[in-house]
Amino acid sequence: MRTPIPSPVTVEPPQGWTLSPLHDPFEAHVGPLFEREEDGERIFGFFADKRHLDDRGAVHEGMLMTFADAFLGTTAHRGSNGKGCVTVSLQASFLAEAKAGDFIECRTHIDRTTRAIIFVSARFSVGEEDVMTATSLWKVLGER
Amino acid sequence: MSSRQVDTSGFGAYAGPVLRNEAGSFIFEIADHHLNGDDRLHGGMMMTLASVVLGTVAKETAAGKSEGATVRPLSLNCDFVSAGEKGDTVEGSANVTRATRTVLFISGELRVGPRILMTATGVYAIKGTDEK
Repeated sequence: MRTPIPSPVTVEPPQGWTLSPLHDPFEAHVGPLFEREEDGERIFGFFADKRHLDDRGAVHEGMLMTFADAFLGTTAHRGSNGKGCVTVSLQASFLAEAKAGDFIECRTHIDRTTRAIIFVSARFSVGEEDVMTATSLWKVLGER
Repeated sequence: MSSRQVDTSGFGAYAGPVLRNEAGSFIFEIADHHLNGDDRLHGGMMMTLASVVLGTVAKETAAGKSEGATVRPLSLNCDFVSAGEKGDTVEGSANVTRATRTVLFISGELRVGPRILMTATGVYAIKGTDEK
């Protein structure tokens, strides 16, 4: 096992959540990020802090899309039975704004798996409110 | 050529800096902390850069139509055309496809030299000074 890259700030996970082991420097830079099991699926979360905000005080769409890329990618990787996957396309709809202090959760779904392409969608929420939806295409490396 | 930093917000500055030169192009240098586990530009950082480039053009367009107006992103679509490598200088540009009274359609691209890294389209809501 490779040693995960630590994040520059320490944040206590919410009860029942654990630290996501991060191996991409940029994910570690924006983290820490958390995960837990829910109904047999892995779900993901992070606390928005002032590093993540845009000039209006809402969570920056770039941070939300970075969070999406990290964990839709984790789901694509599982869908490919552990083969390497790269992002081909990602579309995000911003339904509502998230603020500093919010815990943003991500629930992913594999919509379709072909040999070479995996379709993954996800819903992002703060409490009961959805803040973003995303759909994405992933290329399975070495397959055609 | 002199340049200035754009999107100095919390995340814009933390993930950046993204600069803009006098010709209007957006400039970004790929550093170690922007990479993924394969030493390529992280997809999240690439989309962040696209969001800064398209968002800055959207913001300027809104402010040009009505003083004090700002924008909120509604949708962003990013296609990953090729990979960025550590040490690459990424150049970004974006244009207004259509501006209505309330919505802006922006499209843009990121490239390293002649090679396109990403094409992106975004839809932004214009929020005037009199609206919440």
